Amino acid sequence: MFRSFIFATAVLLAVRAWAVEPQIINIRTLPGQMRYDVTDFLVAPGAEVRLVFENLDDMPHNLVLFQAGTDVAAVAAKNLEKPELAVKRDWLPDDPRILAHTRAVGPKAREEVAFKAPLQDGRYPFVCTFPGHAQSMRGQMQVARQGPGLTGLKFAVYLGDWKALPDFAALTPHREGAVADNLVQLKFDDYKNQFGVVFTGKVTAAKEGDYTFLLAADDGARLFVGGKKVTDHNGNHNVREMREDRVHLKAGEHDFRLEYFQTTGAAELFVAWFGEDFTTTPLSKWVPENFKDLGPKIRKTPPATMPLVVGTEPVIYRGFMANAGGRPIAVGYPGGFNLAWSVDQLNLALLWRGAFFDAGRHWTDRGEGSPPPLGYDWVRTSGEAAPPFAILPTAEAPWPRSERKAADMEIRADGYQWKGYALDEKRFPTFRYEWGGVKVTDRFDVQGEATAGGKLVRTLKLAGPIPANAWLRVGVGTIQPAEGGFLVDGGAFGPHESKYLVTVEGGRIAGSNLLVPARAEIKITYAWPGGHAGHAH
Amino acid sequence: MKSLRLLSPLLLATALVHAADLLESDYYKITTFPTPKETALEVGSIELLPGGKLALGTRRGEIWIVSHAEGNPANVAYKLFANGQHEVLGLAWKDGALYETNRYEVAKLTDTDGDGRADLFDTVCDKWGLTGDYHEYAFGSRFDKNGDLWITLCLTFSSHSNAEFRGWALRVKPDGTLVPTCSGVRSPGGIGFDADGEAYFTDNQGPWRGACTLQHLVPGTFQGSPPSLRWYDLASNMGPRPIAPNDRSYMVAERARIKELVPPAVYMVFGKIGNSSTFICCDLSQGKFGPFPKQIFIGDQSHSNIARVFLEEVNGVKQGVVFPFLQGFKSGLIGGRMDDGSGQLFVGGSDRGWGAKGGQPYCFERVDWTGRVPFEIHEMRAKLDGFELTFTQPVDPATAGKPDSYKAREFTYLYRQEYGGPEIDEVIPKITKVTVAPDNKSVRLTFDKLTKGHIHELHVDGLRSATGLPILHPVAYYTLNEIPK
Repeated sequence: MFRSFIFATAVLLAVRAWAVEPQIINIRTLPGQMRYDVTDFLVAPGAEVRLVFENLDDMPHNLVLFQAGTDVAAVAAKNLEKPELAVKRDWLPDDPRILAHTRAVGPKAREEVAFKAPLQDGRYPFVCTFPGHAQSMRGQMQVARQGPGLTGLKFAVYLGDWKALPDFAALTPHREGAVADNLVQLKFDDYKNQFGVVFTGKVTAAKEGDYTFLLAADDGARLFVGGKKVTDHNGNHNVREMREDRVHLKAGEHDFRLEYFQTTGAAELFVAWFGEDFTTTPLSKWVPENFKDLGPKIRKTPPATMPLVVGTEPVIYRGFMANAGGRPIAVGYPGGFNLAWSVDQLNLALLWRGAFFDAGRHWTDRGEGSPPPLGYDWVRTSGEAAPPFAILPTAEAPWPRSERKAADMEIRADGYQWKGYALDEKRFPTFRYEWGGVKVTDRFDVQGEATAGGKLVRTLKLAGPIPANAWLRVGVGTIQPAEGGFLVDGGAFGPHESKYLVTVEGGRIAGSNLLVPARAEIKITYAWPGGHAGHAH
Repeated sequence: MKSLRLLSPLLLATALVHAADLLESDYYKITTFPTPKETALEVGSIELLPGGKLALGTRRGEIWIVSHAEGNPANVAYKLFANGQHEVLGLAWKDGALYETNRYEVAKLTDTDGDGRADLFDTVCDKWGLTGDYHEYAFGSRFDKNGDLWITLCLTFSSHSNAEFRGWALRVKPDGTLVPTCSGVRSPGGIGFDADGEAYFTDNQGPWRGACTLQHLVPGTFQGSPPSLRWYDLASNMGPRPIAPNDRSYMVAERARIKELVPPAVYMVFGKIGNSSTFICCDLSQGKFGPFPKQIFIGDQSHSNIARVFLEEVNGVKQGVVFPFLQGFKSGLIGGRMDDGSGQLFVGGSDRGWGAKGGQPYCFERVDWTGRVPFEIHEMRAKLDGFELTFTQPVDPATAGKPDSYKAREFTYLYRQEYGGPEIDEVIPKITKVTVAPDNKSVRLTFDKLTKGHIHELHVDGLRSATGLPILHPVAYYTLNEIPK
């Protein structure tokens, strides 16, 4: 099916979601898609969370966070059973399992909600409880699992005036003892200056894997796990210098040894660790207040893909498309040629080769946006909102434009009428329009493969009295004669160079325009420089 | 089914069926069709073709020709007639050709070589603007009695009019001429005609719409949503530009200020009738679809249901009542068309973008009347001091004559720029008198107070038919734009 809602289980890879400051979670509604832009975020147990909810959609939405395990679909369905009551609550369910919620937030409005994350790890679903919205407007807050703390923690205090960590093994402790709460801490007795401490205990890895230790110290510190030095953070420095080192541990208990020294001034020591399945867990009593590098992991919803594949017949797709003019008709031809013909410009707007178009954005959710085509070597042939034909006093005169005055949008030039298109027995389209009393048909045929020197052959036929001094504009940009025709550089847009080769009998370079006199039949060929894929780059 | 239809309603009503056992499905049966495997049949429009065939236009821009949809759903057959169109939300058949309304244009589609696929796409009219916003839908009607086709154009972002005639209802003459017809459209969901050929569209809750509405398209009028007012310079036939409505006002108050303003004929009360009104189907089957000839059936994309509307004209203004009718469709309904010959109602839709009940992403379904007459309020008419109800079956005069069998409530919505709105200014009227007609087929209710502009909600849970049945849908919402003089 074509629905693309992904609620996959998140794997907590090296998550570091613990923080003292409130965690700010920004969630927005995606306009026209009935989705949140963030469907998965992670917080630390008990964290102060500030949820900033911004509704970019054109209808009201809310965000209601529930206890882990709540069937939000059932809650939303129940809400609809007594709509007259639900509407009085602005569709907020009457349900004791609500942990936090926004009010009904109107279009283009925002609201902030502050709450304390639960201590219990797990997945806490959130949903929009407006009728019908819960089907797609869902997500989850994950409360991270805390890792285990230290066990059997002991301390040994040494006295001395050092500039760096001494060899504690060669010294005699001033005082030794057990740390009752198993948290690394410095407030032993009332020593403030010229002392050192060695902590020893056990750290337990639940399973074999990589574990990361964080260490900050003022002054110096050194960490050993399993007898191996993990972090050497020696010297006299500021506590803001956070060290982060990874170690591979087998499942089971490992020796933990942390050495520390203090000369004078501030004295702080922070140690923490995180693993593949638990979040940053402090192993010290003190934690730095300015420790901000602990942002939540968020998951954005990926777009769906529905590429339209061209077989033996051309594929026609009428839909909004970037750089393709107003009311584009995209055609994917056999041979890897693709074009977009703008019904507002009544002209070829865009050429590209390779894959045709991905309808995924238009055919999921509300179909928002003007996506670019697929493929490569895009070429913009008409460049701006302008009519295909014009009567000019001289060939060098400026080409007329056709735009709305109020907004920079294309509009059909005066005197033109779009008449539609016909498909031949091979389903190749011929576009039809009228310019004054002139009936114009415009069609494209393919010669060879777009990626192997092939050409697109365009035939315009004009029936009726053709005015004097009438020209067709074939290309816009920097134009020079090349290969028996013209090389047009339409000007780069995005990553595309927009260079193409044109042949047309009677073609004439007039400033930045490639013109050809209007006549009963005009044949134009289009190809990419070098012919083969990639040469245009 | 055929044999059931031969049974007289009276016979069925006296069959001593226990009241609580009777469901919507005893009266109207929903049949779900299998759909072509190679596509998502997101039905946006439905038209009848000669020879018992149907045409379906889809949100993915395809047009499918359907055969054998009248019988066993296993026999249904589909053939792709056209594709690559931009959201086909209108289909109309005339003189051997199929006309589509897509976002870009109204076009006439012809199969010139007889291979079953359209090969000629003649543009009839495309004289309106687009900016590329997804909300810029175009809904097209069938041909009206003059041979014109009606179009409603959604606003840009459903809130702005950033290109020509966004937020307008337009008519396209047979020669392709565009006739600007009504301003004030917001976000339409369907367009259709009543039994007299008057045109209506459904609009969706949003800015300046407290709830979804059924709107009477009187040429030359303003339908209430102001962003469209900027295009009067392009519509000389419409006369001067109306003044804009005041924000946070009332429809009644603004009607007194703005002479071109037409109030909603019916509010499709939000959350109770539906949340997203769509197709408009008038029952012209002369009884083949049951006891509601000439009444209007309206789809809902969010609730995946159909509501029933009875309209009357009071003091020159259309107004009327909406009742729940049938729910349980597989996806959000968008397109609907009744075969007036057989009385079969074909519907379809999708849940895409706004969500819907039903559990399926899209559907194509049929509704058949089983031949059994449900006990329902048939019509509800406004009177000087109350309402008159008629019923599909004779009432039990004892329960029907008891004021306690009725409960009424009056409310309205603010007329405001902000999205939607709560039910406000509640009035609880007293029903001071109940008179049952001698033939037991109608009841006259006298209220101590009617409120002009309010929706009058009436519950009739206590009422019983002569055979002891409760009303199948015992609630009605009457939009009282005008109190009869």
